[in-house]
Amino acid sequence: MKSKVATVSAALEVPEGAILELHPGEMHLEGTATALPGLAHRVALALNGRLLSLFASDERRSANRFLLHHVWSLPGLASFLRLSTPIDPAVPTYPSIAAKYPAANWFEREVMDFFGLAPEGHPNPSRVALHDDWPEGVHALQKDFPSERTVPRVQGDFHPFRPVTGEGVFQVPVGPVHAGIIEPGHFRFGVAGEPVLYLQLRLFYVHKGIEKRFERLSFRHGLFLAESISGDTAVGHALAYAHAIERLAGLTVPARARALRVVLLELERIYNHTADIGALATDVAFLVPASRAQALREGLVRLQDSLFGTRLLRGTVALGGVTRDLSPSGLSVLRAHLRAFEKEFDDLITLLIDAGTFTDRVDGTGILTHQAARDLGIVGVPARASGVDADLRRDHPYDGYEGLKFEVPVEDGGDVRARLMVRAREVEQSLAILHQVLDRMPETPLTARVPEKLPKSSSALGWAEAWRGPVLHWVGTDETGKISRVKVTDPSTLNWPGLVQAVPGNIIPDFPVINKSFNLSYSGNDR
Amino acid sequence: MSSILGKSLTTGVLTEANPFGSSASFGFPVIDFSRCTACEACARSCPTGAIRTEATAKDRKTVSLSYAACIQCRECVTGCPEEAITVSTGVEVAAHTREQLARRATFDIDPRTSRGTFRGEEVVAGESLAQSAARLRERIRGRLGRSLHVRQVDAGSCNGCELEIAATTNPLYDLERFGIHFVASPRHADVLLVTGPVTRNMEIALLRTYEATPAPRIVVAVGACGCSGGIFGEGTYASLGGVDRVVPVDVYIPGCPPRPQAILNGLLVAMGLREARV
Repeated sequence: MKSKVATVSAALEVPEGAILELHPGEMHLEGTATALPGLAHRVALALNGRLLSLFASDERRSANRFLLHHVWSLPGLASFLRLSTPIDPAVPTYPSIAAKYPAANWFEREVMDFFGLAPEGHPNPSRVALHDDWPEGVHALQKDFPSERTVPRVQGDFHPFRPVTGEGVFQVPVGPVHAGIIEPGHFRFGVAGEPVLYLQLRLFYVHKGIEKRFERLSFRHGLFLAESISGDTAVGHALAYAHAIERLAGLTVPARARALRVVLLELERIYNHTADIGALATDVAFLVPASRAQALREGLVRLQDSLFGTRLLRGTVALGGVTRDLSPSGLSVLRAHLRAFEKEFDDLITLLIDAGTFTDRVDGTGILTHQAARDLGIVGVPARASGVDADLRRDHPYDGYEGLKFEVPVEDGGDVRARLMVRAREVEQSLAILHQVLDRMPETPLTARVPEKLPKSSSALGWAEAWRGPVLHWVGTDETGKISRVKVTDPSTLNWPGLVQAVPGNIIPDFPVINKSFNLSYSGNDR
Repeated sequence: MSSILGKSLTTGVLTEANPFGSSASFGFPVIDFSRCTACEACARSCPTGAIRTEATAKDRKTVSLSYAACIQCRECVTGCPEEAITVSTGVEVAAHTREQLARRATFDIDPRTSRGTFRGEEVVAGESLAQSAARLRERIRGRLGRSLHVRQVDAGSCNGCELEIAATTNPLYDLERFGIHFVASPRHADVLLVTGPVTRNMEIALLRTYEATPAPRIVVAVGACGCSGGIFGEGTYASLGGVDRVVPVDVYIPGCPPRPQAILNGLLVAMGLREARV
């Protein structure tokens, strides 16, 4: 059997020595900018690679260069491949791959916004993260940009949305402040009567400068920032960050902590999926199941509170392990709650899909075709609901997932119903996973000793399949071992363009339920 | 249809008679200043600067703790070598000014050992809780009665506070029974319930929402970030910080995120139906 490095080297037609296995399951290849599109093409074609992140880092002080990185998942090899290429600060451009791989679209524009590196050949090289009142030539993630700098607002009349013409055709602006208790963002619908012709998004209202903030915090405090990237994904983001730090420092997480991390991540998946299923019922005004789902979700977060002292599982993940244990009595409380929950959850799903008034609203609504999902590089729940079979827990196992028996539910419909069913089936799988883990909890300490300092001038990738989909953190250190760059990738960044594809052709009153079936994070996307 | 009726009947009423007082396992850190030696271990362990120390003279130091910035991570509790920091079980915390959420103590420092001895707690300047409450009552002057319409504004939050605000509407807490109702437009609202940190990109939207709310508009800031900028900091290129940096705030509800009963408590404080406690 060929080694992973040999397989990649043969597929990409580069010498084996050029490919480094930095950490288990993470390879690195540096190439020239001109070679980049060709390499990306071979990764996608010959290795079945999926682009999960793309970002830049500023190494002007130590090496007088920027670096551009592609992160590809190679599920067949259970490994990630990071392709990077140096960029000369005097010629701040690089070849775009967005025309061929639309997953790169927003990422490349973000690199342009925050680093001033222009993607050459990008089909739509306009701003994505910076709002229109942001001045030209100010790039916040460049190292010489002070994080406390106040950026003046440029005056003017901004953001011309795509014009609409024709009789009875008009635009409907929605947001940033929405009518419900949800996050802010602007939707611009082009409509002809009720049917939507197109949807345009304006996000990044809740851009908090998180990636810049990481560079100011110690790596220990970074964990708390990671928990606040998306408040509903506290465990997912904390795990991805902790994995990156642990791989960087060469730590081995004790077995009990690895098992407890699975428990935490699956509990987070169950409580969020349950809330989302209830929200779908709310959005079609089906109140009995909506209220049942809310009560079930509240029961779960109270259980989490009683077991771990935190409703939303904050502060449970530690660098090198976990902070909370499950006592024998806690274990039996958890088991009993899950058994009762399973029965109630089954009833909830039956209540929904047996009601014609409900299925009428969700069947065939908001279809994201398999082809569109593949082309756009959609991930997580919406991808699996459109027939894309991918899940980091199985393809790139981490923590206690290796050796667990579970299925990755995949549906073909691509509509609201399919996304609902993926969530429902994932909850069933999560329950099965939890029972397997709880039945054989290893007896070990809860944390490994974390060193005072991280290794100098190194980097590592951390990942987790959170409830929305894959979360990736890439952490790089400088010559003194301090954090110099953290790139956070929330699945929402890859999935927002999927919503734009799924909405046209539906009527405006169906938008809330379509939006909810994707349930993407604004804060995770905007950071 | 029959299954829906059956489910409703067998489920019964879930709403809890008293949403308050259930003993929460974790509130806020409390420093027992008499055991504290001003060694600064807690200040170093705090990721948000909620605990700060300041050398005011060669042999004098202050230690302060503000719940406005506390994200309840418990690092200070485990990091204190004197075991002087414990955890309160009180989560129904609300105040009318940022200062009211802070405690500060002065210490004499032994120059040889740099060990501090507690001198006394300072009274933090500004209005007392009772004075602020009276001022708020005067501003409302009975106009709200026992009904409150609330417009929630996410001005930059991570969505954690939104989850807990939404939880107040679930059948267990059911805040509508207190006359509190979430509305879809600021034009219908008495109160803006704002989460933060206020980002540069939400500043204008927050101001416009505030201007669209009829007087006497009350602003309630929710969460560590809404109260102070929290872990995201104050005055960065992207985050302006606490809600009071942009619009005047009448009630602060700290926590990361505050629990549903803390949010409910804060709203009742805004109505003058409960007293603010820290």
